[in-house]
Amino acid sequence: MVDIPRRIPMTAPLGESAWRVRIRRWRDLLAAVLANPTTVIGLILIVGMLSVALLAPVLTEPNTPDPYQMPRDWAALNEPPGSSEYLLGTTNTGGDVLYGIIWGARTSLRLSLIVVAATVTVGTIIGSIAGYRGGRVDEILMRVVDVFLSIPELIFALAIAAVLGPSFRNIILALAVVFWVKYARIMRAQIIHVKSNDYVDAARVSGDSGWRIYLRDILPNAFTPLIVQATLDMGHIVLVGATLSFIGLAEAGLAEWGVLVSEGQAGISAGRWWASTFPGLMVFVWALAFNLVGDGLRDVLDPRTETAR
Amino acid sequence: MQIRDYILRRLMILPVLVIGTSIIVFSLTRVGGSPIGIYLSHEMNAAEVAALEQRFHLDDPLPVQYLYWAGGVLRGDLGWSGVAAAPVTQVFPAKLAASMELAVASAIVAVILGVALGTYAGARRNRLPDHLTRIFSISGASMPLFWFAILLLIVFWVNLGWFPIGRSTAEIFARIPHPTGLYTVDAILSGDLGALVDAVWHLALPALTLGYGATAIIARMMRSSLVEELQEEYVDAARAKGLPERLVLRRHARRNALIPTVTVIGLTFGFLLQGAVVAEIIFRWPGLGRWMADAVLRGDQATIMAYVMFTSLLFLFVNLVVDVVYAYLDRRVVLGA
Repeated sequence: MVDIPRRIPMTAPLGESAWRVRIRRWRDLLAAVLANPTTVIGLILIVGMLSVALLAPVLTEPNTPDPYQMPRDWAALNEPPGSSEYLLGTTNTGGDVLYGIIWGARTSLRLSLIVVAATVTVGTIIGSIAGYRGGRVDEILMRVVDVFLSIPELIFALAIAAVLGPSFRNIILALAVVFWVKYARIMRAQIIHVKSNDYVDAARVSGDSGWRIYLRDILPNAFTPLIVQATLDMGHIVLVGATLSFIGLAEAGLAEWGVLVSEGQAGISAGRWWASTFPGLMVFVWALAFNLVGDGLRDVLDPRTETAR
Repeated sequence: MQIRDYILRRLMILPVLVIGTSIIVFSLTRVGGSPIGIYLSHEMNAAEVAALEQRFHLDDPLPVQYLYWAGGVLRGDLGWSGVAAAPVTQVFPAKLAASMELAVASAIVAVILGVALGTYAGARRNRLPDHLTRIFSISGASMPLFWFAILLLIVFWVNLGWFPIGRSTAEIFARIPHPTGLYTVDAILSGDLGALVDAVWHLALPALTLGYGATAIIARMMRSSLVEELQEEYVDAARAKGLPERLVLRRHARRNALIPTVTVIGLTFGFLLQGAVVAEIIFRWPGLGRWMADAVLRGDQATIMAYVMFTSLLFLFVNLVVDVVYAYLDRRVVLGA
């Protein structure tokens, strides 16, 4: 492995403006992240996937009225891959596998962005209240977090999505209910750690209000580990979401990778391998890309090395 | 003393977690409204519906309903499984046996493969086998189990025809008694080698699939702890006294490297529990996971509740054991707590 610079110089020469220091820090951080080749591979994969997701309407003719619904060509069932019209073949209901892969990227992006945004927000709020207030509130909130963590996440999400009824929207909801706890726990630990710094006491002595201290001195300094977790979850959530839709909790015919794998599963005994293989590969690459980048970020931002600065 | 305090503290939280989990599970089934619908038919009039509601205590406030439900669970009444068309408790043991057999087989696969791969890679640090093992380990956390299972099926079932699907061959299943419900154990008990081979043959692919994630984690841990051990002085001493490298590895370094690895083996349990749902669907394995998947798709609430409750309790118990073992092995956990 290439040696990653573990320590990022944080001392500013005298007279340098705060903005310059900030920009330089970000530049150093970026350099440290990019020094790791596996992170770079992950980043390239992410950029590729995001481009596919964003350019979906350009790459394919969107299906009307709902582009997230697979177009059906009833004259081309079980078409093997390689034809000029259907490059990756078709499903047993005449769905274009390539279309499903491209719009599936968009579906996955939507899923992961919504769930990560929701869980980071809720986790930050709950974790901050617990860590900042402490005492009884902290005790109660953390026991709730413990209870949520004591149910295995896939099974929990499966049960929630099941009682809400099968739909992709309910998968999103179920994942949000399951995944906020991790962020709450990380945030609480971070807040407690940051709260003990001298500069927080200094701000308090100088008469700043509790809110001001929280927003200016504590939250920005506590947020780093959440970025790592959120990056990892961008991949993990798509993995779990695709598993739920593979099991059958999304609408049939949705342009989503797990749904496609499930649709293709019926044909594998007849030798029709393509309808499951390609979409499943996409789930793998998506999760792998965010795992590589998340691991790389963790190496650079690791709180243990942070204290050594 | 401190370890005892630590364990006691963990045990004291346990009832809170169990009750909390049961409240969540109960609330889940009420999210979609009253479960009275299962018992209704079109011919019933309002009075009959009301009588039914009263009989199942569905006209009481929710907290009271919870107490009735929890009381039923404690008496061993888990309700009626619509999917299995039988009481949950009646179907449970056979499904549990099927799942346990698969989980234990997967754990064995994962431990053997994981330790072997980790040792192989750790002893060849920064050479090709090490890089390949790293790629394997990283891919473990990103691999959709449902896809991996289907790939295995395409290669080994459809194209090569080496492995079967399902849990056993019908004729072979019928020719021996099944006192335990674990087909491998049943075959050994009846001394039928053919049945044992059949049972193991059916286990191979699902166990490999389910063990994949755990193998990756164990290999990664084994590799890094072996690399650490190989830098210790006792290894130099063993080499200096002329011990062949193979024995240095086997008798000294690997033994010590296994200690931290043992603790992650417990943590991989979650993988087995969750992966079972997918692996059992794809390989048509008649266990708890597949039952749960059927229940989910058909809104069979009693089964869903029983399954979530059971897996959570198992998960809590295993995590407790792992934490205690870990606390014994690494005293810093207790001191730092």
